[in-house]
Amino acid sequence: MANSHSSEGAGRELRRIVRINEEIKSVVSAAFKINLMAMNAIFLAKRAGQSALGFGVLSNELRRFATDLQRQMDTLREATYGSVSTVTVLVKQSRISRLLERARIEAQGQAKTLIQQLARSRDESTLARNDEQMAALNRRLTHMIADTAQLVELGSVLARSAKIEAAYGGGFSGSLMQVSSDFEKIIGEIQRSLESLTKHQSEDFLA
Amino acid sequence: MKIARVIYEDGDHKWFALARDTSRPDFLIDTNEYLVTSDGDAMLLDPGGSEIFPAVFSAVSTGFDPRRIHKIFASHQDPDVISSLPMWLEFNPGIKCYLSWLWQGFVPHFAGNADTFVAIPDNGMEILVGSRRLQAIPAHYLHSSGNFHLYDPKAKVLFSGDVGAALLPAAEDGLFVEDFDRHIRHAEGFHRRWMGSDKAKRDWCARVSALEIDMLCPQHGAIYRGADVRRFIDWFSRLDVGVLKS
Repeated sequence: MANSHSSEGAGRELRRIVRINEEIKSVVSAAFKINLMAMNAIFLAKRAGQSALGFGVLSNELRRFATDLQRQMDTLREATYGSVSTVTVLVKQSRISRLLERARIEAQGQAKTLIQQLARSRDESTLARNDEQMAALNRRLTHMIADTAQLVELGSVLARSAKIEAAYGGGFSGSLMQVSSDFEKIIGEIQRSLESLTKHQSEDFLA
Repeated sequence: MKIARVIYEDGDHKWFALARDTSRPDFLIDTNEYLVTSDGDAMLLDPGGSEIFPAVFSAVSTGFDPRRIHKIFASHQDPDVISSLPMWLEFNPGIKCYLSWLWQGFVPHFAGNADTFVAIPDNGMEILVGSRRLQAIPAHYLHSSGNFHLYDPKAKVLFSGDVGAALLPAAEDGLFVEDFDRHIRHAEGFHRRWMGSDKAKRDWCARVSALEIDMLCPQHGAIYRGADVRRFIDWFSRLDVGVLKS
């Protein structure tokens, strides 16, 4: 986290976490839609019979994709909660540091030396540890977002394949095409949310 | 872990309860936080201590965008009520904190500056949240000498701070009071010891008896609803308070 010792940094970090969390909510909502749509698509493929077997298989895969995505989002959300805890500690530490600094400026003689010793030992241990923890959490978040991007890429491929399969759906081709276009549209929304999420995640490192 | 549960909903006008956190450390008293939302605006009631900020912040974020929280209501000055203020101000320095004028010079020791606080006069005031006009109801000496509750006339919900609080065993973690007689045993010792003034108690009982209340939401323990609200007010009015031991 850039300049995590400052309270400005902590506030910025919290706002960043909220932006990430709002994107997570959008993805979860889209994943839920895909799950429902895929369920309907499976019934539709069953009605279409032999000519929509491939479409049925892909719909099943899209349902699995939606479940995996929801699970991945839950893990991401837990990771952001972990970040909130760490930021809370950072804010408390930064407040103590500010007060100690003021005490150092105002203190004289023995008191000044004691405060200086205390501030030095805090700088060397607590703050460094918190910074490391924050950096580790951020690295974990970045990896998880990258994993999610791969998963969404798979969803995108499935949606495109469903569109191709829809063309072989005989009398049901029009309905299947409509469903596969809806899949594609929702996955496009997920990709956009994920792009924003990635942007928010990297904001901190650029700040 | 705290969970935000909707206890009242009419379109965008909602009350969320962030109550009964069973995963908190044992050495901290359990607290309930409430969030009132209306037309894109939101007020957090008794946001809690700094130790539970991560749990409250995360729980709020699951059901609501915390960037829309523009106001904080502090029933009184206790650390379990408002010591998380520094965190909320880090997140949004523009948040306004409504609290008794009596604590205006004390609570800034936690955080904030002259612009942060909106002083509530002794006789209370209206607080606008979105299009909803909420009322700060005087509850002085129950237990704090500068103490307010918050009433929502549309939702018929009264946030009652420490009044109605119960220190419940971990196993009794329901959101609402289900068995009043059983529940109130866990509230008795607390009210006898913490509520210091019989006169203040009687004043409060008379004041809230004039309000239409469907839910009475304390800062600790379960929420009273329906007939249990009246039962609680009657029970409290008869209770001998301001005593060290019963």
